[in-house]
Amino acid sequence: MTQQTKLGLGFMGPAIVIVVLLFLAPVLLTGFFSFTNMSTATGISGGTYRITESVLNRLPADQVRPDVIVSLSESQFVVDEAGLEAMRAEGLDPAFIEELAERHGAEVFTSGDDLEDAMKDLDNRPRSIRVIKGAVDMFERSLRDRDFAEEAAFTAALDDAVVDLTDNERVVIVQAAYSGWTMTTSNFSRLWSTPQTGQVIINTLFYVGMTLLLFNVGFALVLAITTTFLPAGQSAFFRAIWFLPRISPSVLYVLLWKWLAWDTGFINAVLGQFGMAGRNWMLDTTANAWVFVILINGFVGASMGMIIFTSAIRAIPKPLFYAAQVDGASRWQQVRFIILPQLVWPLLFVSTYQTLSLLTSFEYILLSTEGGPGSTTEVWSLSAYQTALSNYAGNLQYGYGATMALVLVAIGVAASLLFLRLFNFKHLVSRPRIEQ
Amino acid sequence: MQITLDKFTKRFGDVTVVEDMDLTVGKGEMVALLGESGCGKSTTLFAVCGIYRVDGGRILFGDRDVTRLSSQERNVGVVFQSFALYPHMTVAQNIGFPLRVQKKPQAEIDAKVREIAALVRIENLLDRRPGQLSGGQQQRVALARALIRRPAILLLDEPLANLDAKLRLDMRAEIRRLQQETGTTAILVTHDQVEAMSMCDRVAIMDRGKIVQFAPPRAMYDKPANTFVAGFLGSPPISFLDGRAENGRFVAEASGVDLPLPSHLASLESGRPIGIGIRSEFLDPSSTATVSGKISFIEAQGREDLYYLQLPDGKVVRGIQDAAHSAQLGDAVSWGVNTEAMLVFDADGNTL
Repeated sequence: MTQQTKLGLGFMGPAIVIVVLLFLAPVLLTGFFSFTNMSTATGISGGTYRITESVLNRLPADQVRPDVIVSLSESQFVVDEAGLEAMRAEGLDPAFIEELAERHGAEVFTSGDDLEDAMKDLDNRPRSIRVIKGAVDMFERSLRDRDFAEEAAFTAALDDAVVDLTDNERVVIVQAAYSGWTMTTSNFSRLWSTPQTGQVIINTLFYVGMTLLLFNVGFALVLAITTTFLPAGQSAFFRAIWFLPRISPSVLYVLLWKWLAWDTGFINAVLGQFGMAGRNWMLDTTANAWVFVILINGFVGASMGMIIFTSAIRAIPKPLFYAAQVDGASRWQQVRFIILPQLVWPLLFVSTYQTLSLLTSFEYILLSTEGGPGSTTEVWSLSAYQTALSNYAGNLQYGYGATMALVLVAIGVAASLLFLRLFNFKHLVSRPRIEQ
Repeated sequence: MQITLDKFTKRFGDVTVVEDMDLTVGKGEMVALLGESGCGKSTTLFAVCGIYRVDGGRILFGDRDVTRLSSQERNVGVVFQSFALYPHMTVAQNIGFPLRVQKKPQAEIDAKVREIAALVRIENLLDRRPGQLSGGQQQRVALARALIRRPAILLLDEPLANLDAKLRLDMRAEIRRLQQETGTTAILVTHDQVEAMSMCDRVAIMDRGKIVQFAPPRAMYDKPANTFVAGFLGSPPISFLDGRAENGRFVAEASGVDLPLPSHLASLESGRPIGIGIRSEFLDPSSTATVSGKISFIEAQGREDLYYLQLPDGKVVRGIQDAAHSAQLGDAVSWGVNTEAMLVFDADGNTL
């Protein structure tokens, strides 16, 4: 390793650490989580094996026989050593215990009444029915609501409870009874089959498309071109104005929008003068919510395109405009024939860059509508965030949320590669395209 | 079409670049605006084509006052120093652009493009882009674009400055040919006196926003209005000496020069401070009036050599001699001067 390589690695070191910690590791973890069913319910550490009402309901009917489910759900009464020991500890008559062990040892009764009848038939039975009932209870053996830390112990108990359990049934039941997280691919099939997914995709496309077209590219282009034809001082002033949203803190920025739109906000205060009833302009209809979401994002997003387009237009040599002017081209024809053809690369760059950043950014929606009203303005990234990390229901589905995030990462990486190829990235970084 | 500038004035902020300029370019004439950079020649051209607004005076094309018209309305062809070809368009699209913005039918545009391309001899390049062309080819495309609307007026802003020396010679002749074939009235802006003199019918030499002299090239060379014009025209440059008139002779004691004045100035009053200008071709071995000095430098120029004759006070007179001349560096020589051709200036630098 040469001195230079060492030096290079030394300089890159901090960057590598940051990339690994803040990008690579989260992506890898997201990939891992997306193949688990982790949620608030399963916790992120291990779990126990336990038959509960909901486990029994979940057992698939085509894989587990109904009578197995019945025997799992019902209590059994087994005359075993543990029960006998409990009777001795209660101080019951040893002769009664002796006779029970002798005549019914290891016998299984499906109901308490049967065991009670059997006890009543014994020669050394206690007189008191209450004592007999108490003894019966000591033999009640049930898997329900009992925690097993180890799979082996649970399987043994299961085999005790259901004598003729098949291997497949055992596997299915063990799986269903485990309360911790497991590896699974079910997130993907669930994502694919959930009707809500389609709506979220439509929302996302609408959000990205409209913000991009109307503001990040469209309005940015209008600003760049119009300010080109303004005197220097005025154009700098307008560009500075449109840059302000970009540099204002996002929370305050959205708060200002909320003040504008709230029931007692600015719009209503003005309209109230004309006797109009107040309403929440941001959230009272889906259309309004979309208008605000796109305006809030667009006002922030237009500045980047504006700056890139402006500098690209400035890079066009002045004599080209002079030439076009004396050739008889009007302002509009100069825009169409001289400016726009020179903006092909900046346009492509801004479109793709902003597409990627709009796909993954949801902070302004989260701060303004939170995906509402209902979930009509819920986009993919917001949906993933709410599924995995923050929702009202309280059951945070880390695994499912991670799956949604992973899909977004995959789309992002695929799109980036596609765009780089489409652009021929070398073109962008090689010598300037306009010669003088 | 005749171009008239009437008291044309142009300011940039507080700086007046051109003030009260009068200039008339006759129909079909080609006129050069010659001067050093910053003298206002390009500014004048940009005002004529409407890129710059006029701050005072009028500009007339024929009888039409175009002072307030936009450049789109003036219909002038312009060739820019950088050629200003549209980099994303093919040669054909570049040439056809002035017609395209007029929304002419494509067939008509194609026909006109082919016709004009033939005129400037680039028919085989129509599908290329400007980046794929040599400097000379780009120049021809720029010319074709300027000429396609058959403008009555053609403006050329340093059209040869970006070409190499050999190509410059060819294009000089080529531009002149096109201008004469199309009968266009043309203004050429240049800082190169050879270009101005070789291409144009008349030359307007400019200094600090004013026209110093406006005359045909030959007349201007032979009879410059002042030392500025005399110094600007001619290669190698003219040599100036300061002295005084003394009984029909020019005397400069420090330089050791004593020459008879041209016959028409023989009666100049004695003692008056004057200057003379000696062009390099005025050195004439057959003349008896001589200047003496030492040869300080020799430039070989092929057919002839250029000698620097250093006078006793360090002033230099440049002279051209046949290459056969045998003088060596450091030789002390006395060379004759054709004193009849000699230029004589008064103390203010104006020609007497």
